[in-house]
Amino acid sequence: MRVAQLIVLGLGTGAFLLIATLGFALIRRVEGFLNIAHAELMSVAAFVTWFLNSSLGWHFALAALVAITVTALIALVIARLIYDPIKHLGPPILLITSVGVAFLLHGITSAVIGVGIRSFEIPRFDAWTVGGLLITPYRIALLALAAVVSVGLALFLNKTRTGKSIRAIAINRELAGSRGINVTRATRATWLAAGMLAGLGGVALGVLGTLTTDIAFQQILVILAVAIVAGLGSLYGVIAAAFIVAIAMDLSLLILPGGYRPVIAFAIVIVVLLVRPQGVAGSREDVMA
Amino acid sequence: MNWGQLAITVVTLVSILGVVTLVLNMQYGQAGMINFGVVAYVAAGAYTYVLLTQPPPSEASLDQYAIGLDLPVWVGFIGAALAGLAFAALTGWPTLRLRGEYLALTTFAFAEVFHSFIVNEQRFANGTRGLVGVPRPYREELAFIDYDILLAGVALLFLAIVYFIFERMVRSPYGRALEALRDDELALVTSGKRSTRFRMEIFLFTAPFAAMAGAFYIWYTTLAIPDLFTAEMTFIVWIALILGGEGSNRGALIGITLVILFEELIRAIPFETIRAAQIAASLEVAALGVLLIVFLRWQPFAALTRTRRRVLRS
Repeated sequence: MRVAQLIVLGLGTGAFLLIATLGFALIRRVEGFLNIAHAELMSVAAFVTWFLNSSLGWHFALAALVAITVTALIALVIARLIYDPIKHLGPPILLITSVGVAFLLHGITSAVIGVGIRSFEIPRFDAWTVGGLLITPYRIALLALAAVVSVGLALFLNKTRTGKSIRAIAINRELAGSRGINVTRATRATWLAAGMLAGLGGVALGVLGTLTTDIAFQQILVILAVAIVAGLGSLYGVIAAAFIVAIAMDLSLLILPGGYRPVIAFAIVIVVLLVRPQGVAGSREDVMA
Repeated sequence: MNWGQLAITVVTLVSILGVVTLVLNMQYGQAGMINFGVVAYVAAGAYTYVLLTQPPPSEASLDQYAIGLDLPVWVGFIGAALAGLAFAALTGWPTLRLRGEYLALTTFAFAEVFHSFIVNEQRFANGTRGLVGVPRPYREELAFIDYDILLAGVALLFLAIVYFIFERMVRSPYGRALEALRDDELALVTSGKRSTRFRMEIFLFTAPFAAMAGAFYIWYTTLAIPDLFTAEMTFIVWIALILGGEGSNRGALIGITLVILFEELIRAIPFETIRAAQIAASLEVAALGVLLIVFLRWQPFAALTRTRRRVLRS
């Protein structure tokens, strides 16, 4: 029974991780580097929502919508001002720069917000009992949201003109450009999409629990774990990986204190790197040195 | 403000973190490996040193740590170096045969995991509380001289030795192979060298020095608390390396000196309220981020420390 309960808990965590990792994986896929600042964008979205909702008294849905839009725009501005001019220096320099961006965003949010624990002004529901298992309405909503986001992203990338051009530049930027695809436009669309996903992840984080300015840093670790288990650069792998990592972390509560959840995520990463470094959905040639 | 005290602090910190910056320069600047968890090797050394040299926990105190072996200082240092080696093997072995970003991710994640282990595991080293007032070796015997100055001198000597070793390595044929590893791996492999083995060797060889720096850090702070070993240390060292121009040991030392001066000067500013101090600390983090972004893009000092080389990697 306890196991079943923890798996149900893990499904909710997995839904959050799925939303949080998709944007990160999208950037890795299209721009070719690991954007460590992704989690700090989540934190920005969470605190913009908190400010509009708790301090200014806006309705939660409106606050979240504005926050997600703002985050998407910030992601785009950062990409254009900071990442684009150094793209020719290669992925390692972009990766280290993204750490600088993470520091910058973290410094600004913690200077503005300060220390302390914050939460959204949203109604608190009692957990429902379904077949003897406790589940909160917010976690069910989050699962539904994760499903909608995943299907939506797949449809966007496969069915729309912009989505198809994003896939094209992910595979070969120069060839796509010479075939008449507007590379600049597709890149901007990618950053807006990744920013929106980060925004959504940040809002989800605030709905599931309380917020501190250090929260993003704790999330990036698990996001990295999910991205590696999925196979770096893979998007569909993220769906499976998010639930694998989440359920493993939540099941670990059976035998370990809660503080060890990141240790579990890391242990999974090591096992994956040893046994199947390409992750659940990557190809082996892409990962070897 | 006491300028003399500030100078001693800066010399000590530059010496200790300078060693860590040199290690990073060997790993990244020379061999092209991104280690985002360098703090873990420092922390491994620091904690190993403490657990080896501390007396066992007494019944009367509130200490919860399980191991305290009360061994001599030199055993502590060797233990620290071995801990660094063990950690390097643990993180390097699964990742170094893979593409570079995997090492970056694994070292980063590993450092966080080790940090959360120190925080959560009371029996390891008292959890968040840590060990406070770790005795400085030979404090009583050396009471006739200023211990702070002595420590600064010893740390500086340690830095000089590490600098000498690394410089000799860089200038040797082995060092040229490492440069090839960074600049043109294909050419290295074509000339019959095994790149994976080179990576592993340099990773294992340099990590113990970071760990020994951790033991010196304990001498300096007399504290073994998790708050001292956060990702911030990793990134401060990275910023120093980028600032000085990666690929140059001299540049690495210039970089760390500038960063430590910047930090200590900010710390010396008195603040009226806790909130003001908190804002200043946050803005310092933001400023370090800006430095990293700006210096990676323009590399203004790189020309001073070495001839500018190809930084492009396809």
